[in-house]
Amino acid sequence: MNTQKLLILLTILLVAGGTLFFLPSDEKKIRNNMAAFADYCSSIKKEPPLETLKKAALSARLCSNPCWVQITSLNIDRAFNTKEFSDHILILKKALTNTRFNFHDTVIDFPADNRAEIMTTLRLAGKTKDSRFTDAYEMKILVEKRDGDWLFSSFTVVEFIEQ
Amino acid sequence: MSTTMLRRFLFPSLNRRYLLRLVILVCFCYLIFGYILIPLRIQGQSMEPTYRDGSFAFCWRPQYLFAPVQRFDVVTVRFTGRSVMLLKRIVGLPGETVEFRQGTLYVDGHEIEEPYVHHQSNWNLPPRMIAPEHVYVVGDNRGTAMSRHRFGQVKKERIVGGVIL
Repeated sequence: MNTQKLLILLTILLVAGGTLFFLPSDEKKIRNNMAAFADYCSSIKKEPPLETLKKAALSARLCSNPCWVQITSLNIDRAFNTKEFSDHILILKKALTNTRFNFHDTVIDFPADNRAEIMTTLRLAGKTKDSRFTDAYEMKILVEKRDGDWLFSSFTVVEFIEQ
Repeated sequence: MSTTMLRRFLFPSLNRRYLLRLVILVCFCYLIFGYILIPLRIQGQSMEPTYRDGSFAFCWRPQYLFAPVQRFDVVTVRFTGRSVMLLKRIVGLPGETVEFRQGTLYVDGHEIEEPYVHHQSNWNLPPRMIAPEHVYVVGDNRGTAMSRHRFGQVKKERIVGGVIL
């Protein structure tokens, strides 16, 4: 193999490798959506009301219409349309001001084409007037690909500790 | 220690041997503190006064490799992974019946003394049997309302390890 052929081969390999590395995979897209969702649900201290409204609407836009929510401890097990979802996020943000949402230990599985299943830990860390609080929940999230976008279609809180 | 030795200890020459030792040390620390002796930063009041909010401890993973779980052991219970875990105390073992009467713990109908509990509660929980391969875990801080305290039976497989320090 002469030098010219070797150079061409190396260039092809570099371009292919670079494309693979920089093009976001489905998993990367889902992780980005999760990070964005956590950011939209989080509330910083003294967040302007318009910003709160915008973030609630953006969080709902990451979900399918309708989106199923199951939280057994709160007796919630039903589908929410985009408007309802956005309203509930707004209520949540108002109730948990100065609270940061984060996803940890996320495992994404693709059981079928255009469908993904996420197992993750949602961690809440916030501050009230005189103290701080933390809470965590194990969550199972279903995601569906619609028109090229990955949308959350179901949220389930996994209750692994039973009184 | 002479000045030369001290200087060599604090500012070693970056030769091959030193770099090799550094790489080995980093790998060793990664293995030990990533998989065997996991550092924990405690957040929350659920285990007070035994473990205070903001304090540090270690999760000793090999604790239950060859030994069974025991009552009163403090353990870490995982969610989906090991980044976020619950810190709880085992009070009931598989097949036992646990209940709370006016804040006092009863196992199989016998009162259990809990010297680690400093905030007496008025918790009332009807008797319930612990399923096989499960343990009953509770936090030491009973000063909070029962509805706000996360406790109950969990699968043994969720226990990551014991807690030391």
